[in-house]
Amino acid sequence: MYKYLLCWRYLRTRYIALASVISVMLGVATMIVVNSVMAGFAEKMRDRLHGILADVVVESYTLNGFYEWQEVMARIQAVTGDEIVAMAPTMECPGIIDFRVNGEVWNRPVQIIGIQPKERAKTGDFAEFLIDQRGHQIPPSFDVPDELRPTTTASELLKDFPVDRQNPDDLLIEQELQQEMKDQSPDSGAILGYALATIHQKGMEDIFIAPPGTQVKLLFPRFGQTKAEASLLAATTIGYFKSGMSEYDSTHVYMPLEALQQARWLYDYKRGVGAVNTIQIKVKPGVDLAALSSRIQAALDRMKPRFYQVQTWEQKQGPLLGAVAVEQSILNILLFFIIAVAGFGILAIFSMIVVEKTRDIGILKSLGASTAGIRGIFLGYGLLLGAVGSGVGMAGGLLFVHYINEIEQVLSQITGRKVFDDSIYYFNRIPTIIEPMTVIWIVAGALLIAVLASIWPAQRASRLHPVKALRFD
Amino acid sequence: MAMVPDGSTDVMLSARGVVKSYWKGRNEVPVLQGADLDLERGEMLAIMGASGSGKSTLLHILGLLDEPDSGEVHLAGERIDALADRRRDALRNRAFGFIFQFYHLLPELSALENVLVPQWIRHGPISYWSHRARLRREAQDLLERVGLGHRMTHRPAELSGGEMQRAAIARALAADPIVLLADEPTGNLDATSGQGVLDLLRDLNRERGLTMIVVTHDPNIAQQADRVVRLAEGRVEEWSPALA
Ligand SMILES: Nc1ncnc2c1ncn2[C@@H]1O[C@H](COP(=O)(O)OP(=O)(O)OP(=O)(O)O)[C@@H](O)[C@H]1O
Ligand SMILES: [Mg+2]
Repeated sequence: MYKYLLCWRYLRTRYIALASVISVMLGVATMIVVNSVMAGFAEKMRDRLHGILADVVVESYTLNGFYEWQEVMARIQAVTGDEIVAMAPTMECPGIIDFRVNGEVWNRPVQIIGIQPKERAKTGDFAEFLIDQRGHQIPPSFDVPDELRPTTTASELLKDFPVDRQNPDDLLIEQELQQEMKDQSPDSGAILGYALATIHQKGMEDIFIAPPGTQVKLLFPRFGQTKAEASLLAATTIGYFKSGMSEYDSTHVYMPLEALQQARWLYDYKRGVGAVNTIQIKVKPGVDLAALSSRIQAALDRMKPRFYQVQTWEQKQGPLLGAVAVEQSILNILLFFIIAVAGFGILAIFSMIVVEKTRDIGILKSLGASTAGIRGIFLGYGLLLGAVGSGVGMAGGLLFVHYINEIEQVLSQITGRKVFDDSIYYFNRIPTIIEPMTVIWIVAGALLIAVLASIWPAQRASRLHPVKALRFD
Repeated sequence: MAMVPDGSTDVMLSARGVVKSYWKGRNEVPVLQGADLDLERGEMLAIMGASGSGKSTLLHILGLLDEPDSGEVHLAGERIDALADRRRDALRNRAFGFIFQFYHLLPELSALENVLVPQWIRHGPISYWSHRARLRREAQDLLERVGLGHRMTHRPAELSGGEMQRAAIARALAADPIVLLADEPTGNLDATSGQGVLDLLRDLNRERGLTMIVVTHDPNIAQQADRVVRLAEGRVEEWSPALA
């Protein structure tokens, strides 16, 4: 009984001990804030990765892909039944983009992705990432609007040509000029990764180096009988792809599937079908993706062994997601050291309090307190301090997370520069996720450390000889 | 209460051949060298002796705060010096009431709470809670009895020396002990308040038949006891103040 009353009383009268819990408090608060923000960022990142990649991706090991993708899709449909929502065949290949900036030719390595935009849009958030120069969303299509078509001799002529609608010759000429204009300017539109088309400088508006209408040339390998050859395709920039994942935004170039197939000499004109090397699959929510993908893998291996690779989006992004997880756990270990340091603070202050309370311990023993009882007072005191520290820390951490964006604004105003530069991350609010299990673990860990730190002083207190303790001053 | 001997003999507390020495480095410092003492039921015994003669040591051994090197201590016929820790703790809590020269109250607690400490120790939380009202009332009555009815919520730091010693007496009585052990209860008090404290002890001894040992340097105080013994050369000898 006295244990509880006394440690409660000590808590209320020994403010020095409360000082030692400030570090527990700060440690707990920091861990909660860091974990919530990291979880928020990780979740955002997963969101985006998942938005770009469909749930399950079937790839051929060779870039040249396969023509029989309709059979493959039928096969997939057959083994998965109604677990699949949509599928989109795509052709991906690495290449080089070049375009003129202020009269100079710039080039960069890119990943060229041929898609059927409507189909692709059904298998992920792809369509949500398509924007124009002003940042407005655009429909998933590669049609080149007339105003973006470059001026050519034909278009100049067409502009000046006085068409007499009554004259069939005029109409014929107009038709021919229009055809010529189409021939002279590339027919296909291209959607460039946002970071590919812009220059980002901290604190400034992004500068478009490839504004809409920019003519780009794409260089990539095409099918060859004996070896791969280079092939070229021109396209008009019609929009941008901005997912927020700089890895994608700085390399992806989206093209119409057929144009790419033809340019890569992977198009069977007789059958009217081209090769693809990737099939994006959207799966119904709640389906176990890993199990589904191994089922597909087995089925496709029976069709053509060692040719297809089936991966879930998480498996495909394994290294990146793994890196984030490693980062988070290392940070957690480091932060936990803060609480461990706080534990040593408790140990030091407790040892001091035991010395200070030596006579009281003797008194309690003379009144019949047992060894275990005295130990209990200090262990309970440690637990109580830990509870106060981690409780206040938890409340502080959760409040901080809740108001993190407001805090960021205030800090930005005070320091005069943005603490959280939203143009780097592409989102305007700091994302946070509070995982109850994480909070519970942190608080439990802090409590454990507080108790561990009080074991030794408590043990020492309980072992004091009553007479020596009473004579102490 | 089986744990506390009921005391069917007339000797309440006795020491037989108690030996105790301390070690100062390699040197043995003998303090008690075969001390014998018998304390009768309802007796108020004064122990005198030069400073360093081992009075406190003997009292601690009698009250189970310390162990003798050899010899025996009996409480109401039962040997108590070699009991297991649990039994020793229980006896300290219920059979003995200690009063010290420097009061030894717990500074964080009020006078009333200090008086309640032995009950806190005796009872578990549930049992304390269910008897809370009665235990508090008893503690209040004790404080009233020692004349501190108006100081219940004061902290020790807010009490005078005499008041602190009265609170300590109330605390020693709280567990309704068999024997009261007072180590120079008036040693730190001026003559008037010292006499007040002694009168209180004397009254308690008469009223309740409380058996008690009072260690003192003051012959005036010793004179008021039923019997006086002296510690010298590690032994207890009968002593009469008249001889001094
Ligand atoms: N822990 C210890 N270590 C060594 N010697 C000790 C220890 N405790 C007590 N002594 C010695 O034992 C002797 C008896 O001490 P004790 O306190 O019993 O004397 P006392 O008669 O109560 O004296 P006083 O009247 O001054 O209170 C003293 O000489 C003291 O120095
Ligand atoms: Mg003494």
